[in-house]
Amino acid sequence: MTIQFDAVTLTFGKHKIFDGLSLKFGCGKIFGVTGANGAGKSTLLKLAGKIINPDSGKVTFPDEKKIAALSPEMKLYDGLTARENLKFFARLRGKILSDEKISELGRRTGLDMKTFGDERTENFSTGMRQRLKFAILLAVDADIWLLDEPTANLDDAGRENFFAEIQAAKPEKIILLATNDKLEADICDEIITLPL
Amino acid sequence: MKLSRCRFDAVSAIVRKDFLLNLRRRATFAAMMMFALTATASLSLSTGGALLDEKFLAAILWVVIFFAAGAGIAGTFDDEAQAGTLPTLKLYGDAQAILFGKMFVAFLSLVALSTFILPIFLILFDVGVEKIFLLLVTVLLGLIGLSAAGTLTAALTTSAAVKGGLFPILLFPVTLPIFLPAIRLTEISFTVAPVDSSLLVVVAAFDAILILAASILYDYL
Repeated sequence: MTIQFDAVTLTFGKHKIFDGLSLKFGCGKIFGVTGANGAGKSTLLKLAGKIINPDSGKVTFPDEKKIAALSPEMKLYDGLTARENLKFFARLRGKILSDEKISELGRRTGLDMKTFGDERTENFSTGMRQRLKFAILLAVDADIWLLDEPTANLDDAGRENFFAEIQAAKPEKIILLATNDKLEADICDEIITLPL
Repeated sequence: MKLSRCRFDAVSAIVRKDFLLNLRRRATFAAMMMFALTATASLSLSTGGALLDEKFLAAILWVVIFFAAGAGIAGTFDDEAQAGTLPTLKLYGDAQAILFGKMFVAFLSLVALSTFILPIFLILFDVGVEKIFLLLVTVLLGLIGLSAAGTLTAALTTSAAVKGGLFPILLFPVTLPIFLPAIRLTEISFTVAPVDSSLLVVVAAFDAILILAASILYDYL
């Protein structure tokens, strides 16, 4: 299972983000994508997930593989509770979460579902939202994880939980992590630095 | 057919989610109801109890439903885009499941709207219904087409700068083949004239075409 970029070119307005980019991502490693602001870290993740298409070149994506993502651009349904958000996104992928499973996801992500599970996410802090997005990532059981600054707004305990989960998941998943954070970069097995 | 790709559990999850959000916020639904009520009441007052032609009455009913539906369905995808949830929904949800989930939510909203406005319309305009079953079937078939076309148009206009004005302009020609026979059928339901069943077939056929076209085109948006 691999994601392959072959001579990918992408332009936004007058700015050429990628010019003939060729890369290959597989299971068993965490691929870190670093670079200055505007270098195209988040864009590379979107290309890898086929959320956007290149102007030229090719992104080969494994058939029928499912993506999950953790990014500041992804928003939760603030009118729903944490439990309802979790159940909704899992159900979109055909998974029905039991109360036990929800509690387990809460434990793994450091979000106390007993206390906060039935609270609407509009009342959540940014860190708690991030933990809930992390729980959704685990709940949908995807083959490809696209992570954009995944531990931003998490406290130390939240980061530790995240790093443990990502290490445990990496043998079976393709993991791309866009970051400028040293701690996040340190857990990556391979770093791709994008020039500005 | 593309419909077979659409997973029922994902569709039902979207319907349940939208139902919960609409129930908690109520703004969209209230706007739709208030538009229908205000339009019906003002048209009724402006005609001042005059004896109106059945064709004219049928046209008024469908015009009210069309614009009230616009007030509700136009925001189907834009509300998600404004809240920032649309990318998340598209990432985790199958495109066809999203389309059919949203379409079903639009249909249920329009059924609720019609259930609310139809009796008020009949009372305010003092309309005698001769064929109630025909009227109900016509309204339901018309709403199916309106939901299908409205959902696709809402998806198309999500990124438009002037979506409020663009939505009815794009929706009107698409739904015209449904409205014309629906208005005629509604007129027949108000009179003792014989039922022209071929018109029902026309509306049902256009419903099927609109659903199929929406399913095919949505993948390219």
